[in-house]
Amino acid sequence: MAIGSASNPGLERTSGAFPSLILVQAQEQRSLVLDHSPFSIGRKIDKDLVIADPRVSRDHALITSEDGAFYVADQGSKHGTFVNGERVERQKLQRNDRLEFGVRDGAYVIFHPISNTSNTAREFLSQISGLQISTDTTDLEKLTMFLDAARKLNTTGVLDEILVTVADTTLKLTRAERAFVFLKTEDGSLRLAAGRNSKGEVLIDDTTISHSILDEALHSASEFLVTDTSQSLDLAGRHSIVAYDLRTVICIPLRKPQVQARREVTAITAPEQIGTDIIGALYVDSRFASRDISSVSNDILRAIATEAAQLVENARLVQAEEAARRYQQELAIASSIQQRLMEVHIPEVPFARMSGRNLQCKEIGGDFYDAVSTEDHFAVFLVDVCGKGVSAALLASTLQGMVYSHLVARMPLAEIVAAVNRFFTQKHLGEKYATMVIARINRSGELEFVNCGHVPPLVVSNHKVMRPEAGNLPVGLLADATYESSHLQLQQGDRLLLVTDGVTEAENARGDFYENERLEATAAQSSSLDEILASLAKFCGGTPLNDDCTVVELVYTGLT
Amino acid sequence: MALKMESKTIGGVTVVRCIGRIIFGDEAAALRSTLKDILSTSKKVLLDLSEVNYIDSGGLGTLVGVYSSARSAGADIKLTGLSQRVRDVLQITKLVTVFEVYDSEQKALAAFH
Repeated sequence: MAIGSASNPGLERTSGAFPSLILVQAQEQRSLVLDHSPFSIGRKIDKDLVIADPRVSRDHALITSEDGAFYVADQGSKHGTFVNGERVERQKLQRNDRLEFGVRDGAYVIFHPISNTSNTAREFLSQISGLQISTDTTDLEKLTMFLDAARKLNTTGVLDEILVTVADTTLKLTRAERAFVFLKTEDGSLRLAAGRNSKGEVLIDDTTISHSILDEALHSASEFLVTDTSQSLDLAGRHSIVAYDLRTVICIPLRKPQVQARREVTAITAPEQIGTDIIGALYVDSRFASRDISSVSNDILRAIATEAAQLVENARLVQAEEAARRYQQELAIASSIQQRLMEVHIPEVPFARMSGRNLQCKEIGGDFYDAVSTEDHFAVFLVDVCGKGVSAALLASTLQGMVYSHLVARMPLAEIVAAVNRFFTQKHLGEKYATMVIARINRSGELEFVNCGHVPPLVVSNHKVMRPEAGNLPVGLLADATYESSHLQLQQGDRLLLVTDGVTEAENARGDFYENERLEATAAQSSSLDEILASLAKFCGGTPLNDDCTVVELVYTGLT
Repeated sequence: MALKMESKTIGGVTVVRCIGRIIFGDEAAALRSTLKDILSTSKKVLLDLSEVNYIDSGGLGTLVGVYSSARSAGADIKLTGLSQRVRDVLQITKLVTVFEVYDSEQKALAAFH
């Protein structure tokens, strides 16, 4: 099927960043750049857009830019300024608005907020119409090419462009008066996605669309439904046909392309199958007063049904792809914020030093540590939020903020964890909790710590390891949990080691755990965290970690 | 799924035997829904964990969640048959003080009366 396309010899391409006006005058189309404000329109020769027609006033209208939006304002013209057929004094312009100045049957202007080089499907169509790609290429096939190009360029808003163009092309092919594209929503109902009339005006859903015919088409197994009201006897209940004086309504259900291919094989469609593969509908109609479109060839309708469905489905896929891409981008931003929040800046104090290591397994884990120094104290905390991934990361950030700020405010440790527990349990986060240790040391080596369901810390003193077993419940599990902190006196050179259970539960190929015993023996002998991690790696051999492993060391260096 | 559950009734107490791993995901969800169903008809539940060889942090969260919501709904829920591994986890997290834990099914059943 070859479709005659309108040629647009006057089409100019403009550069980049400015919105444009497309002036359509007879068979000519010209693009004007809206690169300054106000932009004047009138019959006078000094206007930005001069329309030499006696019905256009000399100072007819102005287009101004205000806060990124564009407005058209009539300058007291004799025959008025129209936006989409309605006379206006001043109006904010929307994409694809049709502007007319005094003359309703002559030149008109289409407003494009994005530059002419952007992905306007119709412009693309008109641009390639001039090129002889192939005489057999239909407009809808060209649109498929457009879609491919748009996908490669990661352009947004493709679907809307496609739908409007599908409506326009269908109007051209059927020579009908109005065309509407409906898309099926998630709840199964149809939503109007685009509406155009043969004058290129935007149409909205109203009572003049025959929804009964639309429903009938969707529930029938046929490829399209032509209703000629002059032949039909039963018009009861078809209010819009009577009210709007509709003569012919053509309704084309848009079916998922692959399903349609299968339908050809299985000639009979089970009744419950009908409608499940529908992605939308194309609806065109004409009134009695207008031309008769009931004689549109079945071949054309069949071609529209197939190509439009393919196109709409592809456009939806592009849109979904784009949404997924943007979602990925958002996630990447969130992840980088999370990483920056979790970045540890170890404060320097004269009486202690700390270091920490984190071995992450596959995905974002729930382990983290941080350090805070106040005037006379140095505090570290190590937290293991249950679970993994984004939810664990979210909880980790909240928890980190709470503990950090409470430590800065020099709150007692037991009160800090009680506050965190209260916050988590009151927010009903549903079985989400964390285990943690907070330890705080002062210049004299007095150590206070609170253990909330965490692996007990190791205190290494002169190659001997002590495990203070004192502990409390994890935070976030039980609203009525109470917390107590413990105290220890450290000597110069004593080390406090905090680990997560990923360390003690690290497995080797035989399924043995690293366990507390190995950890303690290594801690007693080693002088750095790296030695502990090396021992862990040696134990595991090639067996990958099941859980994050985090170790933090606080050394009391004393006052020298 | 790596968790199976069998239940029987002994003297008015529903004994639920868990076999496998209680871990975050399908297993924890199955434990939650099974116990929810049982608790809608029975107010006395004994969880036999003797064949649970592993419980992760997510599974532990579910266990505590089920336990505390059953308690607040007026149900009596007890644990028995803790393997060394499960016992260790409950010990470290101090949750052993939250649950009512018994060494044997017999002792646990007796404690319901």
